[in-house]
Amino acid sequence: MTSVRLVLADSRFPGGGHAHSGGVEEAAARGLITDETSLKSFLYGRLRTNGLVSAAFAAAAVGGDWFTLDVELDARTPSPAQRAASRAQGRSTLRAGRVAWPSPRLDALSQPHHAIAIGALVDVAGGTPEEAAECAAYLSVSGPASAAVRLLGLDPFRVNAIVAQLDIAAVTEEALSGLPMLGAPALDLFADSHARIHQQEVRLFVS
Amino acid sequence: MRARSRLVVELRDGRSVLTELRSAAPWTLLPQRGRVRSVTGTAVVHLVSSATAPLGGDDLGLEVCVGAGARLRLSGIAATLALPGHRGERSRASIRFDIDVNGTVEFLPEPTVVTSRASHSSVFSAQLADTARLRYREVLVLGRVGEPPGSLDSTVEVLRGDVPLLRQRVDIGDPALTASAAYLAGHRVLASELLVWGTDPAAAHSGDWWSLAPLARGGSLATALARDAVAAQRRLAEAIAGHPGFSTVDAASELITVSIPNRSVANSRS
Repeated sequence: MTSVRLVLADSRFPGGGHAHSGGVEEAAARGLITDETSLKSFLYGRLRTNGLVSAAFAAAAVGGDWFTLDVELDARTPSPAQRAASRAQGRSTLRAGRVAWPSPRLDALSQPHHAIAIGALVDVAGGTPEEAAECAAYLSVSGPASAAVRLLGLDPFRVNAIVAQLDIAAVTEEALSGLPMLGAPALDLFADSHARIHQQEVRLFVS
Repeated sequence: MRARSRLVVELRDGRSVLTELRSAAPWTLLPQRGRVRSVTGTAVVHLVSSATAPLGGDDLGLEVCVGAGARLRLSGIAATLALPGHRGERSRASIRFDIDVNGTVEFLPEPTVVTSRASHSSVFSAQLADTARLRYREVLVLGRVGEPPGSLDSTVEVLRGDVPLLRQRVDIGDPALTASAAYLAGHRVLASELLVWGTDPAAAHSGDWWSLAPLARGGSLATALARDAVAAQRRLAEAIAGHPGFSTVDAASELITVSIPNRSVANSRS
């Protein structure tokens, strides 16, 4: 087993993940996330939808056709703000990943979706689809959880416990059985609102 | 109950003509005849559920082919109630459109209400030629007033040539998921409208609980969440108003449609 999924999932990996809240900032601005309980519900919904789709595409990118997957993931991402956030994270992840796991195969990618960048790096580092899925599923909630701590001053121990108790394993397993289409209507609305409001007033996170 | 319905619309002498129409109970296709003639020559058909459907165990299919240059508006008459069957089997409904070059389709069913013990799967798929236009609305209501929803999944897949424009699924049935601020944020109504209809907006338009989003490879998706269907449709209309390519005159919406209840089939289901 390689260490690729540990390195990618580490919050110290310089992939630019710290700039994104995954909808937490907009949901908090609307008063929908106020405490650990409402954060837990948000993260559960995020993992079951966006997390599952990301995990499945990361898994499929290991040994898969990255171009076809890019088109398919676009079709599952109706919100332009979500696509932009995914590609921004994908680009930063790829930039750091190229140095860690150099491979001419990565030249085929320029601004990949985040999930496909994860899968491609796991692939060239010699990892498995399951490791890529687990990593993507975890990243779909770990970054937003840490954003909530910073935005709302929540108890970091309790927030960490919420992340630890989410069923990443179940989502990882489900992600290995095909390319799901499950959308997240509220996350899409938050992403587009966030992008609109971000242009008018200062926000802490890009998305 | 297993039923397969089929509708074919073709352009003849500048008018859209129904060249094949096969209704299979419980779905009845009612063409609107005579009195009000669309200036654009659009064929107008109502999709009427002539018996209580879908019930658990039902397997309903509708296939619609729209030929080059033909125009069709297919509308619902009343809300669909997804109801449970006797033995808890899942009901299935599949609607498929094939739209040829310059063909135009508006498919505007009334809301689907997911009653408390319903178990229903629906699939909408459309295959579009390069210059085809499509408008498709879906309104899901989670339970009747004061009732928690049963289980429903709804899938939408739209392709233009070989390119997928939209693949999206909604799952209702896990209360923790529908309550999550990331998913439906506790709203009872989810409304969406897909427009593959000329120029898309350059950027997303959005309000508090609605947005009009240009898709990556063509077409736009309007989405709204609300406490009730009236508010949802109002938000959806607000979203659609920002679409530069779509105009209602073009879309035969100026027609005054008159529904005709078909009594002969109303009780055909025992």
